[in-house]
Amino acid sequence: MSLAWSFYISTVLVYLGVDVMACWGLNLQYGYTGILNFSFIIYQSAGAYVAAVLTLGPNTAGSFQQYIGGANLPFPLPIIAGGIAGGLLSAVAGVIALRRLRSDYQAMVFLVISLIATAVVTSDVGLFNGPAGLSLIPQPLSTALNLSLVGYRWFYVGLTAVICLIIYAFLRLITSAPLGRSLRAVRDHEQGAAALGKNVTGLRMTSFVIGGVIAGISGAVLVEFISAWSPGGWLYQETFVLFTALIVGGTANNAGAALGALLVPVAFLEGSRFLPQFGPPGLIDALQWVAVGLMALIFVWFWPRGLLPERRRIIKLPGLPQAGTGQP
Amino acid sequence: MFVHAIGFGIVTAAVMALAAVGFTVQFGVTNILNLAYGDVMTASAFVAYVSHSAGLNPWWGMVLGGLFGAVFSVLLNRFLYTPFIRRGARLFTMIIVTIAVSLILQNCLQAIWGPDFVSANMSAGASVHMLGMIFTTSQLILIAIAAVALAGLHGLLRYTRLGKAMRATASDPELARNCGVPTRRVIDGAWLLSGLLCGLAGVALVTELGSFDFTTGSAFLVPVIAAAVLGGVGQPYGAMLGALVIGLATELAGTYFDPTYKDVVAFGVLIVVLLIRPQGIFAEVASQKEVAA
Repeated sequence: MSLAWSFYISTVLVYLGVDVMACWGLNLQYGYTGILNFSFIIYQSAGAYVAAVLTLGPNTAGSFQQYIGGANLPFPLPIIAGGIAGGLLSAVAGVIALRRLRSDYQAMVFLVISLIATAVVTSDVGLFNGPAGLSLIPQPLSTALNLSLVGYRWFYVGLTAVICLIIYAFLRLITSAPLGRSLRAVRDHEQGAAALGKNVTGLRMTSFVIGGVIAGISGAVLVEFISAWSPGGWLYQETFVLFTALIVGGTANNAGAALGALLVPVAFLEGSRFLPQFGPPGLIDALQWVAVGLMALIFVWFWPRGLLPERRRIIKLPGLPQAGTGQP
Repeated sequence: MFVHAIGFGIVTAAVMALAAVGFTVQFGVTNILNLAYGDVMTASAFVAYVSHSAGLNPWWGMVLGGLFGAVFSVLLNRFLYTPFIRRGARLFTMIIVTIAVSLILQNCLQAIWGPDFVSANMSAGASVHMLGMIFTTSQLILIAIAAVALAGLHGLLRYTRLGKAMRATASDPELARNCGVPTRRVIDGAWLLSGLLCGLAGVALVTELGSFDFTTGSAFLVPVIAAAVLGGVGQPYGAMLGALVIGLATELAGTYFDPTYKDVVAFGVLIVVLLIRPQGIFAEVASQKEVAA
């Protein structure tokens, strides 16, 4: 494998890992709990910004970029802090939005929260260097390991994979435990779950914050790898890509979410890079967005449950006719 | 400065009222939160732009833009939204569908006209001083168009059979159907009316701004939704009041704070209204209705 390919493939694999994590986080919120979180990308971004400023070191006067609360923490801490930041921001947003609202109003509140976050970070330059964003973020352990440039990238692929595995094990634990059953009950029949004594708002909040922590971790892992982060990369449309990935792959199914992450943000958006360039600049980007939108519509029409649908959970009780747990 | 900001606020409010009333008529009758509304506004503005480039009078552009908005909205509902609802899409799924349509439409416009701003090519006309506020002639015409369109809508809803049927369908589609109201045609009428206002608002918006690109309409959509929700969904008079409040609030915020916070004010108002009084100022009950096709 030539050096250029090795370089490229390692990059795509890290992107894949990050997208898989993000899809799992969103799947917990949307697939398992039924929260239409159209601000998902800002929790990923919060994790990325926090991890970045905790790696960049103290903000010196006269530096080309300004940010708040710089520090120089050793390796795993910035990523953990990124997860905490994603969780905290979700807790705040959850307190605002997870009320008893019509589901379309709730989606709109999330969408507006995403727009507010973009407007604030873009116009308040002192926060995270405004529209230019943060750059030259040092890569973790790169001096300590003393690997070649490509060697380090493959090390990072391994690191991403390990974090993915930890998150997967954790999600499996949640979704197969009674908590997962409660979340699905809240999604399928809110009043029913409440009547059985489930704390509906509390369960929604739990799922929302855990999803936010996963989003924060995914952002932190990405920013430590690509060393830069700016508002242009986390507009509300990016959340729609993740939703499309879930719809294509299959909601409430972690394997489906991972498949969606592989197919939509990675295979489709990366794959179209290899097409010959044509038209004026910006045309290909625009057509990509058109294609993502069409993909979402086509899947909602033909395969609304995705390529790998949610497993039918059938509970057999002795002496009772067999009952399915079909959708309402 | 305060009086000047009020003047700007009135012009913004006039444009916003056109858009918000159109939005609320459709949303009230069908319950589809059409997030592609802003992009239909942009598309109508491009129609006016093309007609103007072809040498037509700019005010003809406004007529053509309005007609385009009306026809496009009816077709969008007939051939996309209604089939999805017949197939079982509910509030939840329809959000994904309308966002997808919004992205498709927006990026088709970008693919055709490119990412740069285009000039609306409207001469502002002579400026007119009035009560300490300064308006250009075209701004006064915009305000007049908004007033005439909204008065026409008032007459339609109040005094015609279609208006009555529309209000009946908005409050209870099942009951309206049982009483012999042809709800499907009424819903088409709502989309037609809403699209007409949407197209007019799109052309008015870019006339006011002077130049625009493919994102102009969708950026304007959140303040429009804020005005509609503030007034109570399905309440055209509420939407007019909401537009006045949001229009003045954003222009005052833009004058006294950083102009970039103009939008944040509208966003904040929307969130606060949704949380405190999701039924808006005028409506009496917060409805938990489903989408209608």
